[in-house]
Amino acid sequence: MISTLSKKHKFDAVFDSQKVFRCLLEAMSHPVRTVSIKSYADKLSGGRPAFLALAATLLDNEVGFCIRENDSLSDEITLLTLAKRVPLEAADYIFVCDPIELKDAIESAKCGTPADPHESATLIVRACGKPACRLTLFGPGVDGSATLRTTQTVKDAIALRDAQNHDYPQGLDFIFVSDAGELFAVPRLVGEVR
Amino acid sequence: MYSDYNFAFLDEGSKREIRRASLKAVAIPGYQVPFGSRELPIGRGWGTGGIQLTLSLIGPDDVLKVIDQGSDESVNAVNIKKFIGLCTDVRTTANSREATLIQTRHRIPEIPLSDGQILVLQVPIPEPLRIVEPREEVTKKMHAEKDYAPIWLQLYESLVKYKKVTLASEYPCMVAGHYMMNPSPIPKFDNPKLHKADCLYLFGAGREKKIYAVPPHTEVVSLAFDDIPFEPEHFEGKKCRLCGSADTYLDEMFDALTGEKLYQCSDTSYCKEVRGACV
Repeated sequence: MISTLSKKHKFDAVFDSQKVFRCLLEAMSHPVRTVSIKSYADKLSGGRPAFLALAATLLDNEVGFCIRENDSLSDEITLLTLAKRVPLEAADYIFVCDPIELKDAIESAKCGTPADPHESATLIVRACGKPACRLTLFGPGVDGSATLRTTQTVKDAIALRDAQNHDYPQGLDFIFVSDAGELFAVPRLVGEVR
Repeated sequence: MYSDYNFAFLDEGSKREIRRASLKAVAIPGYQVPFGSRELPIGRGWGTGGIQLTLSLIGPDDVLKVIDQGSDESVNAVNIKKFIGLCTDVRTTANSREATLIQTRHRIPEIPLSDGQILVLQVPIPEPLRIVEPREEVTKKMHAEKDYAPIWLQLYESLVKYKKVTLASEYPCMVAGHYMMNPSPIPKFDNPKLHKADCLYLFGAGREKKIYAVPPHTEVVSLAFDDIPFEPEHFEGKKCRLCGSADTYLDEMFDALTGEKLYQCSDTSYCKEVRGACV
């Protein structure tokens, strides 16, 4: 009997991660722009393929990550990237699947220091729910101001971040990902027009 | 493609670290993010920061342009283009409009770059405060506190002594109202191109192990006093001897036989484009 071995993930560590990175870079440079990583995320098997695609692109044993509410995703990311599981306060990347965890994650995440603001967390948040809210953003990467339709989770995340009153350059950077693999980013200097 | 090496030469761990640093650099415009600069088959100080950025960005669909002092054909530009071509097989071009990735040293192309294009600048000394403060730990603190008084004093002393600011390149600017940034050794003629541009600017300093960025639509203001505005180079009464352009940055050349001074566009691809349009 001839049996063939097949890999669990079809995600290419060289070419697919380059594509996902360029999508991320575009999203981070243009905060209101939504980009799709679906075609790359579909190459990963598991509960949250879009999260796994981002983890495979950004994480390795040099950085620490934290997911509070999803042990199986934690295990998958560790297997895939060899990144260290660390407490929320020490994490470079925090994955938030459930909006209930958002408040704790934002309040505990490291925001860097005035001299080393890059030593801050990036929060990768699942933008779940219907895109029923309007969000108008301004700041670097936005030409004047621009509006997008998004979910209540995103509005809440930005409101919670603003409530921390981080003194720039300290702050938190967000990447919001939908289940459909669409993502957009809100870096620390980008704020909501209220 | 030279298959003994990984695609784009660097190993994936190195690319990931540079990519993480690039994303933080975009999130904190003008801030110099430290990274572990890798060994490359060229010496540090010859564009290794820019090359590492380009190698971590580039994919098979990209179109690459490399320029050095505005020229597509100088030794540095040709060799970097050959090296990246050898380990990626990407298409290269001299056309600034066609390129998705442009690596450059000392110039920003004359044509306004568009949304989606990325300009990677090679930077020898990323720290604008180094000229007034040699200690890294102190300059980091100065940036944190926005303590830029020594640079303002330097500009003021230049005005008192020479009646004008004598910096011709590496003219410092403020990014997004917080960080003072060295825009790399571009002439101050190019500084206004950084302000609210459509493209993304990434700066890589391999020897100094720093990456920084100016995202699109970001405020970049060259330092100036209220009563003495920023003054870029101007070339009144002069034009390119080849294409006739009078609104570009011109290189001055000297004819040893006739003693005549000649002027020519520094951006060779722009000059060729204008000449092509004139035919």
